[in-house]
Amino acid sequence: MRLATTLASTTRSGRVKTIAAVGMAGLALFAVAGCGAGRTNGGGGGAGLVIGTTDKIFALDPVSAYDQGSLVPETQIYQELLNFAPGATTVTPDAAQSCGFSTPTTFTCTLKPGLKFANGDPLTATSVKFSFDRMLKINDPNGPASLLGNLDHTDAPNASTVVFTLKNGNDQTFAPVLATQAGPIVDEKVFPADKALDDDAVVKAKGYSGPYTITSYDKNKLVSYQVNPDYNGLLGKAKTATVSEKYYASADNLKLDIQDGNIDVAYRSLSPTDLDSLGKDGKVTVHTGPGGELRYIVFNMNTMPGGTPDQKLAIRKAVASSIDRDALSTGVYKGSYQPAYSPVPQSYPGAIEPYKTIYGDKPNKDEATKFLSDAGVQTPVTLNLQYNPDHYGGSSSEEYAAIKNQLEATGLFKVNLQSTEWVTYSKERVHDAYPVFQMGWFPDYPDADDYLTPFFAPNNFLQNHFEDPGLTAELTAEATEPDQAKRAAIIEQIQTDMAQKFLSIIPLLSGKQIAVSTKAVQGIDSTLDPSTKFRFSVLSK
Amino acid sequence: MGQEPAAPAPAPSTAPRRGGTRYGALLRYLGVRLLLIIPTAWILVTVVFFLMRVVGDPITAALGGRLPPDQIAERKRAAGLDRPILNQYWDYISGLVRGNFGRSQDNVAISHVIVTYGAATLELVVWALIVAFIVGVPLGRLAARRRDRPADVGLRLFAILAYAAPVFFVGLLLKLFFAVKLGWLPVAGRASTNVELALQNVSPKTNILFIDAILYGDTGYLLDVLKHAILPAITLGLLTAGIFLRLVRINLIQTLRSDFVDAARARGLRERVVVGRHAFRNAMIPIVTVMGMQIAMMLGGAILTEITFEWKGLGYQLAQYLNARDFVAVQGIVAFLALVVAVMSFLIDIVVALIDPRVRF
Repeated sequence: MRLATTLASTTRSGRVKTIAAVGMAGLALFAVAGCGAGRTNGGGGGAGLVIGTTDKIFALDPVSAYDQGSLVPETQIYQELLNFAPGATTVTPDAAQSCGFSTPTTFTCTLKPGLKFANGDPLTATSVKFSFDRMLKINDPNGPASLLGNLDHTDAPNASTVVFTLKNGNDQTFAPVLATQAGPIVDEKVFPADKALDDDAVVKAKGYSGPYTITSYDKNKLVSYQVNPDYNGLLGKAKTATVSEKYYASADNLKLDIQDGNIDVAYRSLSPTDLDSLGKDGKVTVHTGPGGELRYIVFNMNTMPGGTPDQKLAIRKAVASSIDRDALSTGVYKGSYQPAYSPVPQSYPGAIEPYKTIYGDKPNKDEATKFLSDAGVQTPVTLNLQYNPDHYGGSSSEEYAAIKNQLEATGLFKVNLQSTEWVTYSKERVHDAYPVFQMGWFPDYPDADDYLTPFFAPNNFLQNHFEDPGLTAELTAEATEPDQAKRAAIIEQIQTDMAQKFLSIIPLLSGKQIAVSTKAVQGIDSTLDPSTKFRFSVLSK
Repeated sequence: MGQEPAAPAPAPSTAPRRGGTRYGALLRYLGVRLLLIIPTAWILVTVVFFLMRVVGDPITAALGGRLPPDQIAERKRAAGLDRPILNQYWDYISGLVRGNFGRSQDNVAISHVIVTYGAATLELVVWALIVAFIVGVPLGRLAARRRDRPADVGLRLFAILAYAAPVFFVGLLLKLFFAVKLGWLPVAGRASTNVELALQNVSPKTNILFIDAILYGDTGYLLDVLKHAILPAITLGLLTAGIFLRLVRINLIQTLRSDFVDAARARGLRERVVVGRHAFRNAMIPIVTVMGMQIAMMLGGAILTEITFEWKGLGYQLAQYLNARDFVAVQGIVAFLALVVAVMSFLIDIVVALIDPRVRF
């Protein structure tokens, strides 16, 4: 009995010792945590205003960046000659002091004095010339070089003057193009002339001069911005010194975090159901603004099904006759997107709805069948339809599942639906990997031309091998016509021709820009404008 | 007729000799186990390599049927995939030996990805193991002591549910209840944004946020990191806790029937002492063995847990590469995970040999 008692007491004593040891270890940890031995600066400084997104950055170097995910950091760190003030639809000087046509084919800008990059290097006319020269020289298939299709060459006659020589005179779109993703000014001492710079090198070198600098960069995870004290541009001093952008893999987590106040703003892309639910939540505000977002299907003119150009055209027309946009708008997007029957938003001068006029607003199986039989196309036509699940919102899968169902319901198509993550998607689509694929569009500048030239001009952004001399001539005429009534008529003609003769794309839906914020955040409504530039510098809380 | 003197009887072994024999056996055992890692790892990475080739080369697997043949051929040539398979295999193996796991499509060394994100996964797995022990072992002990009573039945059901329920489903439920409904814990991530940013300034930076927070020296940050770890750790830990619970229960029940336990009882020891001091320690040995096998299961579960909770570790990154169909990156990470499993098995063998002398003899 004595032995048993001793053992029991030993066991109890061991347990007490263990608990005490664990407790002491915990206390020691917290004590050590109070010392701050590994801290390399005075403090964390805080994350400032935190913005969440499911977008992804493709690249920070402007030569490779032509997507909304990359536009957000570009908007914060780069400066351009001209830019859109919040809410404006016309450009005003940013790095430039003034800009204008000196002859029909020469567009001259004078720079503000004393501009410099965030690394201290001077920003001069040679920096501007270098930026545009390398954009054209590198001509990255993922980049926005196609926007500079009318730029012949750039000169810098002195340190403060830049002269752009254009191929076609009186280009009404050139000034707004300078405010697009084709227009960021970069430091010639940092960026190589013949190849893109990787993101980490861009961050390290600070060869940019926008309202913010990047202080911490974990690509597509967490990026932190600090106000650039040397910024001298259109947007003025930023209202918030530190802004962080957090990248989410899941829109559900983005929604929960904005709802719980763990982030201040959720900008792109919450599902329609989530937006509907957040709209009823008193703790957050759902902001909408004109955006002119377009969702559409692209045909690769070379690799799409069909043995001859006529058969391919017939297949495209049959697809246009088989899609029910209303069902997509109400069924999938709960009204947050509207049916689009033209690439040009209906609020723009010259916008019409030719896809509705020609193919109707409801699926027409008989007409689709006729298109195919007249061209001798055997049915069912197999369509390898590719979409992206992580860049155009979480409802893309539902949208394209619905399109597959609509097409197959006619009995004329057999659709193989495939999806690919955005970074790979961006690379593959320009290499003819996808015969028919999803795309979305945010305008670079608020003008009908931005819904036409990037899609239908030679060497266009879609890289889908569409080119037609007649349409190219119409695009040139529209872009150079100073008379607004005549210009609107040409724009109407282009839309009709596209819908009637070519259909290299089929517009599906148009949407607004949407952001959700906590009640304390100010300034969001002013930046949700047609330029689609989400400017951190106007936000505060 | 004199008798030959009897051969001297062998001297009784001395304590040092006995000890030397024991350590010699242990070292021999560990040496064999260490050597076995090489063929194990070799077989694992070879299987990974050839499995990835079953679907064709990585370029064809990613782009086959969607790029013209000449472009596919060009890309294969650029990546060295047009050479004989054995040459590619040799390059692959020799690269692995040098720590080269290949490069991703966006030209990032996979070894860099492993170093950067592996720490996050390691942190998650350690937290999950702690949860598994805290939940599985005491409950297993309780179930054994309450054998065939309602508590035992309930705990067995709990164990089945814990390891049968999909990780992402458990994670979602926990998230909805504790983060959304009650608001006690964060929804996702490894730390709040400001903490994450602050911890980037720690030196030396381990990428294990718990350690980084200690080094940073802010108890608030440490608590924030711990709060973020709770739900992912429980989600992943429950998976293993269910197995631990059942193992502890069955081993303890068997051990409690042993002669030495009867002897302990006969000496008048209390049941609590019999269970806690005698039976329980013996019952724990198989748990340690099973733990090695659980590492692979936990790494698999970690991928789903990391996605559910935006825990940006190796599993999360693997999922990104899978989505991007970056098979070279996937191959590199999977090969690394296979090596981790092999090494962990070896470490478990050492522990088992140390605590159970029967193993090394």
